[in-house]
Amino acid sequence: MNGELILFFVLALVAIGSGILMLNLTKVVHMVIALVFTFLSIAGLYVMLSAEFVAFVQVLIYSGAITIIMLFGIMLTRHDDKTETKIGVPRMILVLTGIVAFFVVMFFQINDLSFGEQAADLHVDNTEKIGIALYSKYVIPFELTSVLLLVALVGAIILAKRDDEDKGAEDNE
Amino acid sequence: MELYHLYQNNYLVVLMFLLLGILLPIVALTAGKILRPAKPTKEKQTTYESGIEPFHQSWVQYNVRYYIFALLFVIFDVETVFLYPWAVAYDKLGIFALIEMTIFIVMLLIGLLYAWKKKVLKWM
Repeated sequence: MNGELILFFVLALVAIGSGILMLNLTKVVHMVIALVFTFLSIAGLYVMLSAEFVAFVQVLIYSGAITIIMLFGIMLTRHDDKTETKIGVPRMILVLTGIVAFFVVMFFQINDLSFGEQAADLHVDNTEKIGIALYSKYVIPFELTSVLLLVALVGAIILAKRDDEDKGAEDNE
Repeated sequence: MELYHLYQNNYLVVLMFLLLGILLPIVALTAGKILRPAKPTKEKQTTYESGIEPFHQSWVQYNVRYYIFALLFVIFDVETVFLYPWAVAYDKLGIFALIEMTIFIVMLLIGLLYAWKKKVLKWM
């Protein structure tokens, strides 16, 4: 058992554990915190896979930005509610069979899966390689991303602003 | 393979820092808890709000206006992520990459200007 394996187990355990915790916690804000731990441990797994840049993006976008968006989304809605879990026995059995079936299928598929020869030097100039690929081969998707971001921003402003003006008009009355 | 081990060992330092960063507040708060006298009263346990007496929960429903700020942050965060590989690979890409990035930034700038025009950035 080497350090790599131990680290993998710790990270996987944190990722899965936080995922389960997220599903089982009752307060939504606590769920978001659990989700952050899942994101961070997945970033650790990316580092282990020599995907430095992806790990960095995972930390910056997911555990930073996506979490903020989720928190604000929660804060905009009614969030002091607590989930009430009442699941009947038939449904539990159905879910359990589903999980077991999924596990069996995945286990037998993954067990003898071969990815062929693995690249050994992925960590060398990782970010530079991504940069060269992104800005020479995948220019159009990259530019389309900016359009997507623009649409998201403008759409959100239109939705939020109209709401705001109505409220302002009500306040003036 | 040796290079890969060097890469992994570099991340040991990161792991050290991470553990130290997690341990520092835990140790500091636990030590403080052990050392300080604890005589809690109901008055003391209320949240401090700059002298104003706190009323109802801190998790109140936000105004939708704050959401735009969060979204602006996310969008410019994504822009930063795209800027990193661009800056690293800039020497090998030449002038065309500069034009690409200019188009990208101008697109997002349109969004920012639109937000500005719609008085989203104004506080009240």
